[in-house]
This record gives sequence, C-alpha cells and structure tokens, in this order.
Amino acid sequence: MKAANRGDAQAYARLLHLITPVIRGIVRARGVALGRDSCEDVVQEVLLTIHLKRQTWREDAPLRPWLYAVTRHKVVDAFRSRGTRIEVPVEDFAEVLSAPEGPDPLEAQDMDRVIDRLDPRAAQIVRAIGLEGETAAATGARLGMTEGAVRVALHRALRALAVLRERMIE
Amino acid sequence: MKTEDLIAALAADTRPATTPFRKGLMTLGLALALVAAAVAGLWHVRPDLAQALQGPALLKTLTPALLAVLALGLVRALARPEDEGWRVWAPVLALLGAFGLALGYSVMRGGLLDTVAALDIKRALTCLISVPILSLPPLAALLWSMRAGAPAHPARAGAIGGLVAGASAAALYSLHCPEDTLLFFTLVYSVPVLAMTGLGGVLGARLLRW
Repeated sequence: MKAANRGDAQAYARLLHLITPVIRGIVRARGVALGRDSCEDVVQEVLLTIHLKRQTWREDAPLRPWLYAVTRHKVVDAFRSRGTRIEVPVEDFAEVLSAPEGPDPLEAQDMDRVIDRLDPRAAQIVRAIGLEGETAAATGARLGMTEGAVRVALHRALRALAVLRERMIE
Repeated sequence: MKTEDLIAALAADTRPATTPFRKGLMTLGLALALVAAAVAGLWHVRPDLAQALQGPALLKTLTPALLAVLALGLVRALARPEDEGWRVWAPVLALLGAFGLALGYSVMRGGLLDTVAALDIKRALTCLISVPILSLPPLAALLWSMRAGAPAHPARAGAIGGLVAGASAAALYSLHCPEDTLLFFTLVYSVPVLAMTGLGGVLGARLLRW
C-alpha cells in the first residue's frame, strides 16, 4: 500500500488482487439474499472506495484495521441502499474465509451501467485500461491525448463513477 | 465489468496525492487568515490590546485557541475510517470539563439572575452575532477538507469540525472584544461555539458521507 500511494502500479495491483477474495468473502457471507451478481457489485463498490480513500490510511498505522474499517463501512452502506439493514461486527472479519473465485471471474452489472453514464471519452478510457488492459500511453496515442492527460482523465472518471453510482442506487 | 478489469483500471490510476490532512491544514490556515483580516479591518482590534493581554484577557484568547488546536487533533483522528476509541476524545473533553467548572463556579458565585443582569447586553449581542459569522470560513474550509477523508461517523466528525471553527473564530474575535470579565467570556463565548458545533454536526451528517 505504501508503494501504491507512491505510485507503484504493480504493487498496487498485487495488493488489490490479494484483498479482493477477502472482501468477496465478507460480502457473500452477509449478502446471501442478494444473489451472487449483486454481491459482486458490492465487492466492486468496496474496491472503488478503497481506491478513492487510500490516502486516509496513515503509513505508520497497520493496514488491516483500515482495510476492514473501510470495507465494513461500505458494505453496510451498500446493503442499506439496497434496502436491507445489516450489522457487521468487527470480530467477524478475523474469521472470515476468503471466497473462492471459481473458474470464471464474475461479471457484475452495475459498474457497466454506471460507466455508460460517464461522458463518452471518460468511459472509453476506463474501458480501454480496464477491459483491454491498455497502458495509459497506448490509450493516449489512440485518442490523441498525452499520457499525463489520460491519467488525469482516468482519475477523474473513477471519482465520477463513485458519485454516479451513489446517485443511481439511491 | 469484471472485477479483474476494475482492478486493472484502479491500479492504472496511480497519481500520487498529498495527504488530506496537510491539504486541509493549508485550507484552514487560509480561512483563518481571512477571519483575522476581517477582525482587523471590519471589527477593529481593541486599542489597548497589548496591555490587556497581560491581564486576565489573555485567558480569553488562549482558552479558545487551545480548544481549537486540541479539537483539530481530534478532527484528524475522526476523519479516518478506523474507530479510534475514546482516547482521542480525552484532551478535548478535559478542557471542556475544566471550562464547564469555571463557568459553573462563576455563575454560582454571582447567582444566575444577577449574572445575566450584570452582562452588557449590547456587547453580548455583538459577540453572539459576530462569532458565528467569523466561524463560517473555517467551517467551510474544514468540511471541504474532511470530504477527502473517510470519517467512520460523519456527524461526529462534522460536529468537532464545527467546534474547531467556532473556537478559532472566538479566539480571533477576542482580540476585538473589549469585555474582560471571566463571567462574560465563559458565558457568552460558549453559546456561539456550541451552536457552531451543532451546525457542524448537522452539516457533517449530510456532507461527509462516503
């Protein structure tokens, strides 16, 4: 996480890969009634929040409590906005088993719908870098933007996603 | 969108950002400079300030200033998602407790009715109106900065933000206020500071959700 906050994309991606199954486990354990697809929506929502709030983690504090606190807050929030109130006691996190990913990674619906609401260029950038795995430089070359501009646009798009998502669900 | 793809998109967004607290401090500093300028330009600093600060009027400036600093430390803790427990509250509560005792003592000694009668109503009203107005810039700065944070309890974080705003505005206003009695200060200053705390709580609950 330290490396991620300094801009090391690979370390950050590794971290996100590591924590995703844990988050998925927590969400599934809590949201049996929601069904698998909706659970994956919530998982993505939590990941997006962790990303946008990563600066609130203090480097001298342990990462785990921060991660659990954000996850817990967002999971409660997500279920509440979907009409179910739940309680997530902190102790649960210690024993939670990470959910297996299964052969085919899950597809979630919500994020696509939210991305469609972004302005076309921002949506294009998020899709290119996320789905097609393009680098910022390659995306920039294709769209006639500098690499820096693509990074800025990506950052803004991700923040806009969180806002739009909140509005659509409520 | 697959979760894998989302992770790829998130990981590609690696623009390093300044920590929210440092950015917030700068914004708050700007807001307080604005308030100081307003006190100096529109309210006017009392002419006998240098002399007054050697007497009990020093307390009138120092107490709210200290409260603002302690509460700012609390804001820093509250703007994070982890629940930090009661310990972070201790300094602020201790100071408020001491302040409450001083207030209770001076009211008891004077008797409540005589106390109120002894107040200079015009000066008290000026204070009651001025401090909330002067609190608005720091309150706006704090709430705006805290939106970059992730408070576990938005209303609480907002309320303590309001406390910082009210106390710092009161400290600056005290440079104008010509009334030096302990009673006036404890009784009249606490009302707008409490009001700002309440306002901060109400606004925080709405603005600081994440």
